[in-house]
Order: sequence, then C-alpha cells, then structure tokens
Amino acid sequence: MSEYKIALTGVTYRYSPDTPYETRALDNVSVGFESGKITGVIGHTGSGKSTLIQMLNGLLKPDSGEVTLDGADIWANPKKISSVRFKVGMVMQYPEYQLFEETVRKDIAFGPQNMGMNEDEVKKAVEDAAAVVGLTEEQLEKSPFDLSGGQKRRAAIAGIMAMKPEVLVLDEPAAGLDPEGRESILNAVEKYRNETGATVIIVSHSMEDMARRCDNIVVMSHSKIILNGKCDEVFTNSEKLTDAGLDIPQITRLMMLLRSKGVDVDSKIYTVDRAEQALLKLFAEREATR
Amino acid sequence: MKSISLGQYYASGSILHKLDPRTKVLLGMLYIVCTFLCKNIIAFGLLFLSGILLIAIAKIPFKIILRSLRPIIFIMLFTVVINVFWTTGDRLLFSWSFINIYAEGLYNALFMAIRIIMLITGTSLFLTYTTTPIQLTDAIERLLAPLKRIKVPVHEFSMMMTIALRFVPTLIDETERIMSAQKARGADFSNGSLVKRAKALIPILVPLFVSAFRRADELATAMECRCYHGGEGRTKMTVTRMQGSDITALFAMIVFGTVIVLINYYAAKYGIGYTM
Repeated sequence: MSEYKIALTGVTYRYSPDTPYETRALDNVSVGFESGKITGVIGHTGSGKSTLIQMLNGLLKPDSGEVTLDGADIWANPKKISSVRFKVGMVMQYPEYQLFEETVRKDIAFGPQNMGMNEDEVKKAVEDAAAVVGLTEEQLEKSPFDLSGGQKRRAAIAGIMAMKPEVLVLDEPAAGLDPEGRESILNAVEKYRNETGATVIIVSHSMEDMARRCDNIVVMSHSKIILNGKCDEVFTNSEKLTDAGLDIPQITRLMMLLRSKGVDVDSKIYTVDRAEQALLKLFAEREATR
Repeated sequence: MKSISLGQYYASGSILHKLDPRTKVLLGMLYIVCTFLCKNIIAFGLLFLSGILLIAIAKIPFKIILRSLRPIIFIMLFTVVINVFWTTGDRLLFSWSFINIYAEGLYNALFMAIRIIMLITGTSLFLTYTTTPIQLTDAIERLLAPLKRIKVPVHEFSMMMTIALRFVPTLIDETERIMSAQKARGADFSNGSLVKRAKALIPILVPLFVSAFRRADELATAMECRCYHGGEGRTKMTVTRMQGSDITALFAMIVFGTVIVLINYYAAKYGIGYTM
C-alpha cells in the first residue's frame, strides 16, 4: 500500500443511520490513489462517488474502516483534521457558489490566509494559482459576481489550488460548462499536477474527458468499487461498465463496431487521437496493397 | 443540521394520513382547545391517554415523537420549576427558609408538563407528521377562502407559505454544502471569540443569500413561463372532499372536548381528585 498517497481501507458509511431513511453510501470500500497520478472516479448518480471523495479530506467520518494519508490514519487525532484539509484540497460540485469576497483576489486568498501564510506568501500563492487557471490581473480585481460562469468556476478552483494541496480532489469540475470551458478547467488541473506533482482525483460523468486525462480509473456502482485500474483495462471492460449503467467511450464503441464488421482495428482504443492514428495507419496500409 | 425535526412528514399510511387536510387543521385547533380546557387530574389523565391513542392510530414510532420533544425540554423544565416553587396552596409539603413547596405546586407542575407535551405532540400529529406541507397550505387556503370576500390575499399568502416550506430543506442542504466547501478551505466555525465566530459566518451567509436570490429569480421566471398569474380561476389537480371518516373524526373530537368539560365540572362539584 506504500505507493498510495491516500487510501481507504474497508470504509463503510451510512446516511441518516437508524431512521427509515437510512442509506448505505459506501459498503466496505477499499481503494488507493497513486501518488502524482490523475485518477478518475466514475459511476452512476447515487453510486457513492461524492461520499467517497468527502471521506478523503475528513468532511465525513467513516462509520468503520480507515482513511490513510501518507500511511497515517487521518482520524488518529480528530482535532488535527484541519491540517488534513490543508493537504487534501477539495473542490466541491459547482464551486462557484462558494465565492463570497469583494474581489476575486481576496476570495482566492481566503484559503491561504486560513492556513496562516504571511502577506507575501499569500500574494504569491494567489498569483501562482491565478496563472495556473488562466485568470488575468484585471480579472483578479473584479467582483467574483461579475465574472462569467466559466471564469467563476476557475476562480473557485484557484481558491483551492492557492492552498498548494498535495492531493487535489475535484467533484464534477466541468459540469454545466461549454466545451471550451471544460477544456480550460481540465487543462488547468493537468497543469497543476505537472507543476506540483500533486495527486489528483476527479469525479466525472464524462467518459471522454476521463479517457483523455486520467492515468487510472475507479468505477463505482451501488456503493461498491467494481473496477479499478489503468484506463485501457477499465474502458475496454464494456460488460461491467454497462452493468453499472455507464457508457463506454463513444470512440471505443465505434472501434468495437468496426471490428465486428471485419475491420482490423484495435478495440482497446479509447481516445480520439489514438483512433485517428489507427485509422490513418489502416488507410495507409490499404493504399500500399492496392 | 439534518437532525432539525420540525415534525417532518412521516409516511405510514394510517387512517389519520387519509383524512382531509382541512379536517386535520380543525382537529389540531380543537385539540389545542382541549388541552387548555383540562382542569382536573382525571381530565389530564384522559388527555394523556388520548395522546398515546393518537400516536398509535397514526402509526408513528414512539422514538420519533420523543425526538420532536427534545427542543422543548428547556421550556418544560422552566415551567415546572416556576410552578413547583411559586404556587401557593393549603397543603405545605416542604419548607426551608424562603422555599415553600405545596402539593398544589407539584400538581400544577405535572399538569403544565402534560399540557405542553400534548400541545406539541397533538399538533404535530395532526399537522406535520400526517400531513405534507403542500396539503397543509392547501387546506389553510381553502379554510380561509371566505376571507377573499373582504380582499384578504389568501391565495398569495398560501402560495408564499408553500414556497417557503418547499425551500427549507433546499436551503438546509445548500448551507451544508457551502459549509463543507468553506471548511475545505480551512474556515473554522466552532473556535474563537464571539466576534471571530460571527465573522466566520460571512463566507456562509454571502453565498447563501446570493443563491437564495438566484433561486427566487429562477422560480419567478419558471412560474411566469407557465402562465402563473395568481389565484384567480386557478384549479387544483387534486381536490380533496370531506368524507364520512372526516365527520366522524371531528365528531369524536367534539365529544372528547365535551367529556373533558363535564369531568371538570362534576369533579369540581363533588371534589374528586385535584382541580387546578
């Protein structure tokens, strides 16, 4: 387990325990997230994804089981949980609704200030984070409520990145944005990982986004983890994905269809780029044999 | 935050659930009157039994009722203490310097405790555990309908209530979400001086108000898009009608009230038990 930055061992969690509304959100879940890698968590609505990631920074406390960060139980000393929250940065769903300060700069500075950084450090942290997400100097001085939807989202994410977390957790970071907005957010996340070597965990519905950005994929269904592995291992396991009520990436489906029609392509392809290469190669071979 | 129980609806499909919501509003009001009519120990005993009977009829677990009583423990203790120490009577039980405890005081304290418990249990049984908020505001609108004649905006009033009730859970969820988000950024709500803690609320309140206004705006637009223009000529999807069971229930409640009045009267006349 040592190569894992953060891991869950046998974690169970129930909502509204001992009432008629009791629901089991996590059922004996064990999973590790590799250091410095981007891991995607996918699953149907209500499969327990959001609960899982709220375990990671101690917003929820497991009923049983253990959450370990760098091999140490984060609940060993409940009073020190805030230090865990500084190491594990969490971007919730629709983070733009948490903006509250007069200017974007002040809002991004909220986290670093809570960490007790001095003024110069805060200033630098804010500017670094703004650069990663692509907010201009001019936008930093605006009111967060005057920004566009995508800009607000980026400002909110910068607010977490400014705390320089070693683990960055994002819940549906690209939900409800146009393709351009999605790209810029996901690029910013990748850039943050490349610059700081942080461990990144992204929850998403979009197979295509995940397929392109992630190193590892964890698939959840009915409060359990049903698949966990490298992208190609997971995305080509169409049977289990369909069982979980999920789609395989469109491009993989296309490749499988082509293969079933007798075209000799690799059905393990899950990104458009690789599909393009494979098809071009195929055409080149055909040209040559003609 | 989730444990806030304003007596939430509890679906158990009992006879009480199936009564017309208007009947339940009237029953609730009559029950309040009954709790205040009680004067004699026998009447209070009867009131207590009626409460237990109602809980059984409504098929609500006892645990849930007890939980709803938790917030009023302080008020109850306060009344009990006041009654025990400040009631004067004939039968002195205990006396020490300025403290005099009379048997009447103990009785009164017990009566007040039963009265408060039954007040809360009774009303929440009729109005919240067995009636959904929507049914309730609908019933109020229809009961108050005669006031429309004198230009009271009954429909608007009930629509406002419906919307307010509808958004209570939404706003609680929203508050929780914002609190989690700010906690993730290192906000601390539970430590520090009073001023510091009040200041710590700003990161919650600003986003909460912003989202409440946004929701209100969206809701207004959505309602206008569906041609909402007030109560005039508006029909209901489900129109409940008074049935035999409603009449029976109301009749039973009136009989119950009459019995209590009679017990008070005859018990006082013949000096049975203690009368406050």
